[in-house]
Amino acid sequence: MGIWWRSGSGGGGKWVYIWPMWVTMILHVLAILIFTRGFLLTRTELPYYSNCSDISESPCFSYTTPSSSSPNHSQSGTNSSDRACWTKPIVNRLVIIVLDALRFDFVAPSTFFKEPKPWMDHLQVLQKMASTNGSSARIFKAIADPPTTSLQRLKGLTTGGLPTFIDVGNSFGAPAILVQNGKRVVMMGDDTWMQLFPQHFEKSYPYPSFNVKDLHTVDNGCIDHLLPSLYEGDWDVLISHFLGVDHAGHIFGVDSTPMIEKLKQYNLILEKVIKALESQSGPGGLHENTFLVVMGDHGQTLNGDHGGGSAEEVETSMFAMTFKKPPSSIPSELDSSSCGLDLDGKNLCVSSIQQLDFAVTMSALLGIPFPLGSIGRVNPELYALGSGSWNLEGSQIENDQKQSELEKWMENYVNVLCVNSWQVKRYIDIYSASSVVGFSNEDLLHISSIYAQAEENWSNSTKILLLDRNRGNSTLMPVLKRQVDAYLNFIATVAELARSKWTEFDLRMMGIGISIMLISFIFQIIAIKWVDKQYSISVPSPGDSAIFSGSMFTYFVVAMRACSFLSNSYILEEGKVANFLLATTGVVKLRYSIMKGKMLLEGVMFLFLSTFCRFAIEVGLSKQSATSAFMKEFTSGILNIVSGLPLWMYITEVVPMLIMILLAYLLYKATARSSIEGLWKCVILGSILSYMLIAVHWASESNVLGLALPFEGFGRNYIPRIIYVVTLGQLFLLAFGQLFSGENPVDWNKSLVTKTVAMVSAWSSTAILLSGKQGPMVALASTIGAYCILRLDNIEEDAKNKTGGSLRISPFPVMQWSLLAVCLFFSTGHWCAFDGLRYGAAFIGFDEFILVRQAILLTIDTFGFSIIIPTFGLPFLALYRYFSCRDNRGKNLLFMQLSQAYTMYGLITASTVTFTIICVTIQRRHLMVWGLFAPKFVFDAVGLILTDIFICLASLYYFG
Amino acid sequence: ENTTAPTTMVAKASTGSEASKSITAWEALFIHLISMLGLALALWMAHSVYSIDLISDPSGTLFQLWVMETPILVLLYSRYRQNPQQCSYLKAVGRGILALPVGALLNALGAIALGAPVGIQYLKKTINWSLMMSLLTTVPATSVFGSSWTNWQRVFANTRFIGSVDYMISIPAHGAVIGAWFGAWPMPLDWERPWQEWPICVSYGAIAWIPGWINCIIWICT
Repeated sequence: MGIWWRSGSGGGGKWVYIWPMWVTMILHVLAILIFTRGFLLTRTELPYYSNCSDISESPCFSYTTPSSSSPNHSQSGTNSSDRACWTKPIVNRLVIIVLDALRFDFVAPSTFFKEPKPWMDHLQVLQKMASTNGSSARIFKAIADPPTTSLQRLKGLTTGGLPTFIDVGNSFGAPAILVQNGKRVVMMGDDTWMQLFPQHFEKSYPYPSFNVKDLHTVDNGCIDHLLPSLYEGDWDVLISHFLGVDHAGHIFGVDSTPMIEKLKQYNLILEKVIKALESQSGPGGLHENTFLVVMGDHGQTLNGDHGGGSAEEVETSMFAMTFKKPPSSIPSELDSSSCGLDLDGKNLCVSSIQQLDFAVTMSALLGIPFPLGSIGRVNPELYALGSGSWNLEGSQIENDQKQSELEKWMENYVNVLCVNSWQVKRYIDIYSASSVVGFSNEDLLHISSIYAQAEENWSNSTKILLLDRNRGNSTLMPVLKRQVDAYLNFIATVAELARSKWTEFDLRMMGIGISIMLISFIFQIIAIKWVDKQYSISVPSPGDSAIFSGSMFTYFVVAMRACSFLSNSYILEEGKVANFLLATTGVVKLRYSIMKGKMLLEGVMFLFLSTFCRFAIEVGLSKQSATSAFMKEFTSGILNIVSGLPLWMYITEVVPMLIMILLAYLLYKATARSSIEGLWKCVILGSILSYMLIAVHWASESNVLGLALPFEGFGRNYIPRIIYVVTLGQLFLLAFGQLFSGENPVDWNKSLVTKTVAMVSAWSSTAILLSGKQGPMVALASTIGAYCILRLDNIEEDAKNKTGGSLRISPFPVMQWSLLAVCLFFSTGHWCAFDGLRYGAAFIGFDEFILVRQAILLTIDTFGFSIIIPTFGLPFLALYRYFSCRDNRGKNLLFMQLSQAYTMYGLITASTVTFTIICVTIQRRHLMVWGLFAPKFVFDAVGLILTDIFICLASLYYFG
Repeated sequence: ENTTAPTTMVAKASTGSEASKSITAWEALFIHLISMLGLALALWMAHSVYSIDLISDPSGTLFQLWVMETPILVLLYSRYRQNPQQCSYLKAVGRGILALPVGALLNALGAIALGAPVGIQYLKKTINWSLMMSLLTTVPATSVFGSSWTNWQRVFANTRFIGSVDYMISIPAHGAVIGAWFGAWPMPLDWERPWQEWPICVSYGAIAWIPGWINCIIWICT
């Protein structure tokens, strides 16, 4: 026994039992923090946006021509175009047609690829335009930044920024700036736009995008509104987002008939659009100065997947066309195009563009301020396409004037780039001043020096040259070219730096995080073994082979569950996997109870419980997967039929209340039976009161029962608040009792039971209330589950009748406890994604939003049944075992078991989280990393830290 | 555990009832070969006569399997019934056939608890699969033991085997269940192969153990 033993029996010696838990918590927090720093890319979205007047701060020429507004631009709401702004508006109207998941080879002619494939050359109208119209239409290869998911890409396209996992703050994208500058935007198609920019559209025709199986609804909606809109003058920017190709890819793959049909359909529509625009592009026509862009937001693999960073996914295409004559050419240094022959043997050039550049280029063409967060550059080729109307008024072009025309274009372009560089520099300055995770000082210095150089060149030579036009023109062109190079170099450096900071993982940090996690893992195992050794000294426990095989099976199940996180499919179906394992342990236990010939009822009950969990999880999953439209229709169909019946209404309203009353009764019986008294009794009575209040609350909310309660309207918010106050009071009382009840109880065992019941019941009322009508069912299920686990765990003890029964905590029930907790998480309608949070729960009892309060309520709702209650209820496992052995070793033995149970529980949770972390490290370039792995990681990490915190709190509370 | 403990338990367990007819290893091999042949024949017939297999038509193939295999197993195992004096061959056959739906119900409930899909479109598949599982697990045991709870408990829960027949009942049954359990693992993967559907890979898992029946012979011999 030794020193350790003696110190344990001394007063205040609870740290002897609980220090491993605290060490584990510190290690876990450290590991998660370090890993998160390396893994989660965060960037703060700044709450500022660009204004027209900001240009006065820049060294560049601003554009001020109040008289230059063209006749068809002088519609209502263009007052802003009369004041000075960043660049000269060149394009009046913009038509953006987004074809979701448009691969590059859908648009580019098959002659550009090694061999023609069946899905190529279907958008022939684009190829024809690009080859015959020469420089007024062009095909681009647009390169997106991963993650290549629609939401992130649309954000990138409109803000010109790089995507990150967590964007803190709101995004002020191009639509917001457009609105501020009096442009009217019309949107049709994918409703993702509405999520991003809810109130920025003058008119919008959103269609639901979640149903992947539906190839036509969104497209038909677009078609219905697109062509008529082209004959109307009440918009400046039109966005039409088609989803058919994306959906066809998801379901049938790229090489399929539906895909080819979709492409052919698009070809027809685009033909009509171009014809409509062309017919009105004459002088004075609606589309005299209109720019057409047909683009994809991202590509897709041959299977139709996208999200990752493979070439097929990031390479999408863009087709841009102006209906005016553009300048004949741009300087060859700025031309990135590669030319080849198309199917008809005509020359066709394809250029390349970064998607990042789209937002600024369009802003420059429209003459609006560039988005503040953009780090793109104004793409010369795309800008040149649009800038066809540049200074061509009336003058016939002769050969020697061509040179000067090019020069004029360059002059303008240099100024645009000057504004562009100034804006990028300003963004970097503001960002590093206001953000915690900024750039390093060396990087900032490097950027500044490049910018200063370019700037100096501009102020000292170029600007003077431009101002003083009368001097000889011969020197102008090389100077301009040098200046353009300097600016482009600066913007490219910034973009490169931003990519490395915002989209690359810090592998060293991640490695350190994983190592600490593994160290804590080993530490926990050692801690368990260490307590085991203390047992073998204190209690000579018979080496039971059943226990041994039980723990082998436990290791197997835990390892299986942990390893399942290495695959995205199992993460997606995590609830089902957990339930599968829970039911398996149920079957194994049932077999064991058959072997012993008793507690069959508990065994069967546990299996039925897991069946119940399974159906609850499935209902939850059906809410999650937007793709399982069938399931949705199926269940809602049934619900529709059934909900018409008044009987069903009564059942759904009354059953939760009845269960609530049953729970209150059970709790009452428990108190009455075990003669709990004093403070603890107060706490438990408080819970019973809360239960009744919850039932009353629901009764007052229901419109079926028609109970005209005297305090109707009063109850809606006040009853929940009373329950929260009662819970707080209970917790306060418990903490108080813990601090000031100095006397040592005679019966540690009984005192621990009382404490556990009081604590669990105190938390339960809030958890039930927040879970809504399913709460009582879940509470009842967890009670039954816990009861079965405890009973089945004690088959052995009862059989041996208090003699040599193993006092060691077997890992098997602890694992069942943990699996049950995981199942409860999923059966309460949660899943590991941010849309899996039940935001409604945060507003039970409150109408207004206060961050901390609502966050606490949301946490209790999310983790109440899966972390808080199981952690505080865990002493039952140690207790139940302990009942069989009452001797003088009492307290020490009990606490040792409790400590071991908690360490095991922590270990099981940690093992799954460790594997999740390893998995996200391995799969960090996986296409679903932001969609699936990262949210899973966040949930697991939060869950682990919360588990640790609650284990530590419980250790303070229980080891009195 | 297998060497010393059972011998002491044998006396206890077998006191009330007469020990079942003991069989030699060759006979066991013969029985297993016949039943395997039956399964192979059923699969072959499904493939060549009806031109279906587990993937294209799971419920049809499973139906074919249990319909062809039930008489073979029931007739074979009923020969080794316990208490042959009190229980006629016909009675053993009768209870074996009766066990088919009862065992199927148990198997179906177990599968649903573990997460087998439920719905009208799965009903036929689940019924046929559970009948097949029942055939591999409960039918031979019922033919031999009838409703003797102690024997069932001994063979399936305690795995204390007295005669070679016990091995021939227990090991294939355990194998089928464990095989089906492992067979369920590939189901959630997103490989989008047709065999990942319920109950195809689970049936494969259950059937995959069948060559392992030969193990029984080794167990019996040792």
